[in-house]
Amino acid sequence: MNTSYQYSYTNIEELLEILVEKGFIAPATEQQHATVIGRRQVQSSDLAFVTVAPEAARHLILDLRDRFGFTHLVLLTAVDYIEEGKFLLTYLLHNYELHHDIGVQVPIGREAAEAGASMESIHDLWAQAGTYQRELKEMFGIDFPGSPRVDEPFILEGWDEVPPMRREFDTKQYSETTYFPRPGRSTNDPADYMRQKLYPKE
Amino acid sequence: MSLKDILSPLTVWRRTAEKPYTVIDPINDRPGAARYRGFHKNDMEACIGCGTCETICQNAAIDLVPVEGIETTNGDSGLRPQIDYGRCCWCALCVDICTTSSLTMSNEYIWVDTDPEVFRFVPGAENKPWDNSELGYSRAEGYQLLDPERVEMPELEPDTRLTSFIEMVQGYSAEQAKKEADRCVECGICMAACPAHMDIPGYIKAIRENDINGGLALMYQTNPFPASCGRICTHRCEEVCAINHTGDPIAIRWLKRYIADMADESDYQAITKTAEPERTEKVAIIGAGPGGLSAAYYLRLLGYQVTVFEAQPHGGGMLRYGIPEYRLPYDQLDKDIDLVASLGVEIKYNTRINGLKESNGPKESDGPGSDGGPAPSFEQLYQDYDAVFFSTGLPDPYTLGIQGEDHPRVISGISILEDVTAGKTPDLRKSVAVVGGGNVAMDAARTARRMGCEVTVLYRRREVDMPADEEEITEAKEEGVKFITQAIPVRIEDKPEAKGEQAAFVWGEAEMVDQGEDRRPKPVLQEDKIHTDLFDTVVPAIGQGSSLDFIPEDMAAKIGIIKYKIKVGLHGETGEPKIFAGGDISNRLKDAISAIADGHRAAKGIDRYLRENQSKKETS
Ligand SMILES: Cc1cc2nc3c(=O)[nH]c(=O)nc-3n(C[C@H](O)[C@H](O)[C@H](O)COP(=O)(O)OP(=O)(O)OC[C@H]3O[C@@H](n4cnc5c(N)ncnc54)[C@H](O)[C@@H]3O)c2cc1C
Ligand code: SF4
Ligand code: SF4
Repeated sequence: MNTSYQYSYTNIEELLEILVEKGFIAPATEQQHATVIGRRQVQSSDLAFVTVAPEAARHLILDLRDRFGFTHLVLLTAVDYIEEGKFLLTYLLHNYELHHDIGVQVPIGREAAEAGASMESIHDLWAQAGTYQRELKEMFGIDFPGSPRVDEPFILEGWDEVPPMRREFDTKQYSETTYFPRPGRSTNDPADYMRQKLYPKE
Repeated sequence: MSLKDILSPLTVWRRTAEKPYTVIDPINDRPGAARYRGFHKNDMEACIGCGTCETICQNAAIDLVPVEGIETTNGDSGLRPQIDYGRCCWCALCVDICTTSSLTMSNEYIWVDTDPEVFRFVPGAENKPWDNSELGYSRAEGYQLLDPERVEMPELEPDTRLTSFIEMVQGYSAEQAKKEADRCVECGICMAACPAHMDIPGYIKAIRENDINGGLALMYQTNPFPASCGRICTHRCEEVCAINHTGDPIAIRWLKRYIADMADESDYQAITKTAEPERTEKVAIIGAGPGGLSAAYYLRLLGYQVTVFEAQPHGGGMLRYGIPEYRLPYDQLDKDIDLVASLGVEIKYNTRINGLKESNGPKESDGPGSDGGPAPSFEQLYQDYDAVFFSTGLPDPYTLGIQGEDHPRVISGISILEDVTAGKTPDLRKSVAVVGGGNVAMDAARTARRMGCEVTVLYRRREVDMPADEEEITEAKEEGVKFITQAIPVRIEDKPEAKGEQAAFVWGEAEMVDQGEDRRPKPVLQEDKIHTDLFDTVVPAIGQGSSLDFIPEDMAAKIGIIKYKIKVGLHGETGEPKIFAGGDISNRLKDAISAIADGHRAAKGIDRYLRENQSKKETS
């Protein structure tokens, strides 16, 4: 039993019930896609995901930390849903007492890299969030205004292309143009090769 | 300087006497973690050289190269992936996507050499120290980038099927077809297995891109029977499909059908037209089956004047008179044939080419046969046309070769099927025994079921040995056909009390006798296990032979017909330069797509022959 926080709960399903009841998250929608606000999913007895609007995210995360015992930020990452014009941020939080994880998922507008997708920073809630946010800025072009050193290069020194984790970045083409092919390389198309070998004259 | 600063070196000095906190870790002993992604391993036997690893590699680190000792065979390109470790980023996408799961990674990652060239090699082909290492990365159980499950094809329920000859397979919707097409990795391994070498990945891609007409045009490059083949093809391609190694093969045949179903008939001509100039040479084709019409189509596209002579009132050959309507509806077959005819191929129906040396009927130009006059003879065609192609198929049913087979209640499978096509009701009555295990047997049995008969199929070997398509056997069972395997026909008797109205079928149980490696076991009759069953009708359906009597003897000798068999060259060439042949009479596989491929190659052969003739004339 989780007693040291304002809201106590024992299992993950119950947690989601409380979150809805207290108005922290919207009731579940019919839709099941991860980017739909209101979506929730219990993945296992110790892992659940909820999708909330960007405006509601910081508040929910803070409540989870201070009222529900999710004191640890495990990671902050993003997925590019280019077809929908969205990035989906995932804040994974851990409750040390119950060993539960909850993923708070936040769809944000994707926009062009320069115009800048952007999200409120949480570096003041966990210092290490600043590092994750710097990485997201570099890899996806997602800005977190006010986050420490968010504009400094993270690992890609001197990168002047589209942020490489955005899906419009063509990794294969980049490697083909940037790194010279070693001399002596050549390849074969399986279908053509089989034609030459098995039915050259037909 | 504070006191602490002065004293601290002493505390440091004291430490020197203690056991060190760091451990010595020798450089030569640093194994990677159990699932570390190190140098690749590849099981050379399991890999099929599909190149999917090459396609997915985001660093262009993989080439597909021939490897000494690995042959190109049906279903294996003979190529193997070579990895350039100067580019590999160890992401393991190649391992995750590998269609055969042959590609894995060892946990070995240390290798120092001064020669950069050694870091490009074919894993599995060069005896690396890690080739047999147990540890390393392989795809986790249940983790699949490729979709192993085929989109299910909607079909009529067995009960409904039995009430009519309506087509049982209903076809994919656009959504289903796209989903199925998405499973293809575009490797092209299947193309060699297709007798016509259709551009399978090409038309599957067209489905993904919603380019139906583009897909149809691609299909017509090698096959003018897409609506038919999309239903009844033996789909040899699916057997070798790369995805078959990890799940259900791509439903190539159903996807072909999808394109044919979706394409607008009014677009057909425009899609298939070519800009070849008209040529004056005339080519005669005997038989409007898939072989003959395929040759006609490609010859017409090359500009030749083509006339097809067909004994039956309709075209399609065995596709119409053999295959039942519930598998291939006549309107679908007609769609394919109409396109060929619409390009200006003349098809003379009801015109059986005969063997008469002298035909005293009207000349070919008077419209032989179809107006009731005698049809032209083979000789006449030989004289009047610049080239002749014949693809007359296998119409004569093989007999069982047992005593009493001339019993009035014995009716061949092929004649039942032909009757049904012609709109006649075969006289089957109630209990029917079908003898055989091929597609003809299945078609005859299932046709009889649809006519309300109780049907038993008797086959001399085991079920696994049956040449019929597995799905046809399953469907026959669903429809209530009974199977007795390892049953050898002995004789047919007329029981006095049955008075010719029923046949007593005597058959014996067979024992499968091993014939050594690589040879299938032989069924041997067990004399002490003989049964006699009464049937209203016994239906031999064990295959058919050719009927080439329409070719006069001297001509047959020139062509090279020996004992009803005919040997042809790659492009249908016979012993007589002006005469070409193909289809069931000459090929080994005896299915529609092989006949179509034969027709196409013969068209190329005839084109070459006629062009050579022309240049000879021009030079002389
Ligand atoms: C019952 C049955 C089921 C089958 N099922 C399948 C299947 O599911 N899938 C598959 O791929 N294949 C199947 N086949 C095989 C397929 O039908 C043949 O391989 C294909 O039709 C062969 O084509 P062809 O052009 O060589 O000959 P055919 O299709 O036999 O055509 C020959 C044509 O020539 C005509 N002809 C013959 N002699 C003369 C003459 N003297 N003058 C004028 N015309 C003449 C005939 O009337 C006929 O129309 C099946 C065959 C049968 C019998
Ligand atoms: S994907 Fe697998 S089977 Fe195909 S070539 Fe690569 S290693 Fe071989
Ligand atoms: S159908 Fe199968 S074998 Fe053919 S290209 Fe697609 S995946 Fe490869």
